[in-house]
Amino acid sequence: MVISAGIDMGVQRVKVAILKDNQTIAQSQQFSGFEPTKAAEQAFEDALNKAKLSREDIQHVTATGAGVDMVPFADSTVSMMGADAKAGAYFFPSARTVIDVGAEDARAVKCDENGILQDFVVNARCAAGAGTFIEAMARALEVQMEDMGSLSLKAERASSINASCVIFAESDVVSLIHREEPKSEIARAIFDAMAERVSSMVRRLGLNADVVLVGGVAKDVGFVDSLKRILGIDILIPEEPIYAGAVGAALVAAKRARRRQ
Amino acid sequence: MWELISLVLLWVIAAGAVLAGTLAIWIWSRNLTRKMSLLRVFVQVIATIALFVVLLFIPLPWNPILTGLTYSIALRLTIVFVLIAVSTLVLGRFFCGWLCPYALYMDLLSRLRKALKIKYWNLPERLNNALDALRYVLLAGIIVSALVLGVLHPDVWRFVIMLMGPFKPLIIVFLTPIEPLVNQLGGTLGFEMWGTSFHDLSGTIHYFNGELLILITWLVFFAFTALSFMVRLSWCRFCPVGITLSIVNRFRAFKWLPIMHIDKVEEKCTKCGICKRVCPVQVTEVYDEKRGNVTASKCIHCFRCVEMCPYEGCLNIKFAGKKIYKSKNWLKQEEE
Amino acid sequence: MASEIEKGTKYIPEMAQSEIDELKGSIKAASIKVIEDNIERMKKSWKNRPKAMEYFDEISNFFGRREKEIQEQKKAGKKVIGYSCIFAPIELILAAGAIPVRIGSGWYDTAKLGDRIMPVEICPIIRSTVGAKMVSLSPYLELSDAVVIPLTCDGRTKLSEILSDYKTIWLMNPPRVKDDPHTLGMWKEEIQVIKEKIEKLTGNKITRKNLKEAIETMQNATKAFRRLQDLRKGAPVINGRDAMLVNQTSLWDDIGRWTQKVNELCDELEKRVEQKEYSSYPETPRVMITGTPMIWPDSWKVPNLIEESNPQGVVVVDEQCSGDRILYDPVGVDEWTMSDMVNAISERYIMACTCPCFTSEHGNEDRINWIIDRIKEYKVDGVIYYVVRGCILYAMEYARIKRILDRMDIPVYYLDTEYTREDVGQMKTRVEAFLEMLEARVDI
Repeated sequence: MVISAGIDMGVQRVKVAILKDNQTIAQSQQFSGFEPTKAAEQAFEDALNKAKLSREDIQHVTATGAGVDMVPFADSTVSMMGADAKAGAYFFPSARTVIDVGAEDARAVKCDENGILQDFVVNARCAAGAGTFIEAMARALEVQMEDMGSLSLKAERASSINASCVIFAESDVVSLIHREEPKSEIARAIFDAMAERVSSMVRRLGLNADVVLVGGVAKDVGFVDSLKRILGIDILIPEEPIYAGAVGAALVAAKRARRRQ
Repeated sequence: MWELISLVLLWVIAAGAVLAGTLAIWIWSRNLTRKMSLLRVFVQVIATIALFVVLLFIPLPWNPILTGLTYSIALRLTIVFVLIAVSTLVLGRFFCGWLCPYALYMDLLSRLRKALKIKYWNLPERLNNALDALRYVLLAGIIVSALVLGVLHPDVWRFVIMLMGPFKPLIIVFLTPIEPLVNQLGGTLGFEMWGTSFHDLSGTIHYFNGELLILITWLVFFAFTALSFMVRLSWCRFCPVGITLSIVNRFRAFKWLPIMHIDKVEEKCTKCGICKRVCPVQVTEVYDEKRGNVTASKCIHCFRCVEMCPYEGCLNIKFAGKKIYKSKNWLKQEEE
Repeated sequence: MASEIEKGTKYIPEMAQSEIDELKGSIKAASIKVIEDNIERMKKSWKNRPKAMEYFDEISNFFGRREKEIQEQKKAGKKVIGYSCIFAPIELILAAGAIPVRIGSGWYDTAKLGDRIMPVEICPIIRSTVGAKMVSLSPYLELSDAVVIPLTCDGRTKLSEILSDYKTIWLMNPPRVKDDPHTLGMWKEEIQVIKEKIEKLTGNKITRKNLKEAIETMQNATKAFRRLQDLRKGAPVINGRDAMLVNQTSLWDDIGRWTQKVNELCDELEKRVEQKEYSSYPETPRVMITGTPMIWPDSWKVPNLIEESNPQGVVVVDEQCSGDRILYDPVGVDEWTMSDMVNAISERYIMACTCPCFTSEHGNEDRINWIIDRIKEYKVDGVIYYVVRGCILYAMEYARIKRILDRMDIPVYYLDTEYTREDVGQMKTRVEAFLEMLEARVDI
């Protein structure tokens, strides 16, 4: 019996997953805020409570994510790309491409059936390929972020927004509202723009079916719809995509724990 | 009885000396950029001596129908010719670089030129390529002239000499000028036969072609000697024997035949151009061809390119599919 | 010349002396700190770093011993000839008794100064060199009596103009297609012109004797250089960063002394090979870096990440003009006559060069062959394709090289960066993921 934990130190949130014999038994998340280490501690404690375990029961803890160095109680680390590859193959054994769109960056990885990382590509320079873009646009549209998705699905077509730098899209959106363009169409355009950025990144890597989408943004139906359309391929999404990184890290932790035994 | 034993002993000692000399040069030569060239000069000297011994001294096994000194000379020439032809079919133009006396003469002239610090002149690329094509025209001309002359003199045994058409110029041009020297030397050392055989050798060939040819012979000899101070190995580029032998590397039908050739490993080549630059006959295929068998028809197998290639294992001499010598990092000269 | 052009239209705007002094002081101090920091990090990664490396640490400081030595030699009458690119014929410089130094800028901070007069999209090495000139930071550039600039790329073409306002610049026109006889002939004439310029500047004639000595000096340097690189073929006895430092110091050090010190280092390393005393674990993933030059000290950013990350990697070979390409090719002289020597020198500098500024009928095959050969000889596990943003030539060759390496089943990762320290976090993530990939493959 192997009990392992994975901690995904995202820029916005810390996610924790605890696995027993590669089955998820507890998950928890916390906002990172200004003290990410403390948030990690809290999330970990919370997950342990849910699993009714104590720290000593965990055989190996692996950290991942942008703040990977800020988890002092981690036994080892793994890169986000490695964690994504493992998680993708774990959720869907047929997965060969895993796209992870997080709060501030996006990446795509190529994996094999064992979740071994084979190649990866990162998009960390363009903010329009990441989650906070939706946040900013929702503010501009004066819509709740959770409703953006369903709103965009109502549209039949997308408005046109600035194609060069999508930061300028905010002012575009404002002027579109003044012109009384339907909000649903603007929302769809926003998701299309994001999906374009993400898909061009994935194409640099090479598209191999099946494609899995993880990360916080994967729950947004609007984005998923745009991405499916623009990539022209069906996309698999796990039940709780935001925990993919943590689960992947926990799988790596389990492997390392077994190796030590 | 004793004659036979002493003859055999002489041969054994001679062979032993040659082997010892070869090994000595190979082991003690430190400078990797000179080792192969040094060995080659040594082998050339031995080969030249051996050629003359065969041509003049070796007793022939049987007494043919047609007797006489001239015939025996013709037979000896045939033996040499066959040996050269066979060695070429097997080893490519190895004869040219390692066994030919004229090549030795050219190499010695080249060394003299180097010692006098005279700069050599490289034929410009277009001229070089044009002359390459011209060589085969020259060869065709010689063969035709030999056939014509043979037709004009239908005696059977002279037919043999006529058949060796391409070899005639070699022997004429080289042997005739040194005949007086050989005569002198022979007389001094008490070898009367020597001088006579020699005279008969060149005389046989001259018989067909007359006095004019002797003059032309001398002119050609001196012309090429003088040219060698400007163009490296000038005779070898136009030698009719060489051109005949080069057929074996020129046409793909024959190119697979020789089991010794120069091989290039593609990824080790940096196209630095040293091989092209140091080649004394200005072969460009060793540089232009990317991989595999890069032996050109003009290549005389002096292996200077392999010697000077500074990348380990890039240019290799392959014998029957095995690499018997690789280009080395010649900067390491002291350690070798 | 029109009067508008004649007066006051240099590239670099007038700057207040106080500003220049302040910037120079702060950047110099920062640079010295980076140098010390890098050396500390190299020492930390290599527990039993040999004593022979201390010499190279000392020479690596631009503002220390070497600067003083060159100053003294200048006072004694020697001339200093700088060069921007490894095409410059060093043997000719040495034969005339002058001191060759490479002027290339590895300072991140001066790139921001260069931004004042050119857009940020331009090669940061160029911007950094110009920025260094603005505050007279580079000791070697300042001490140069003349600078040889082969116009290999667009950036250098304009760099030569900018610098010509302050220094004597000798331009050289390398051909873009180098193995046609007419283009090679053009290059040989360029060398001839440079030879005459060097003779005129130094007042010394380049004779057969002193040129032969110079060629032999450089051949000895090549011998030592190759000896060091050969030692990197097996299990690591020297870490990549240390070898890169040794390689790069040859660009500004006294070459005879450098050769001697490298031989001493190699003696020590050969002993370690026998005793199996390695600088990193033999199973460490073996990385090759290819791409734009990484100039000391700031550009150690990426090698530091490679060799310090978790999992660790070791740089066993690189295809860069700041590393394993510097002295690898020797001058092959056939007959030691003046014309043959000059001929051999001109050919050596461009024929074997794998820079992407060259092309040919079949593309830049020289580079592809070089990379393939090194991958096989050094048993490379993965290739980092390093490009500074703004370099068109290296960036464009990536697509072809990736396809070839894919066919060889060698992972290659495109790592593009800038002359900035701020992206270290992001670089770290990417490098670590790549090394994880390599480690997994090594396990299998």
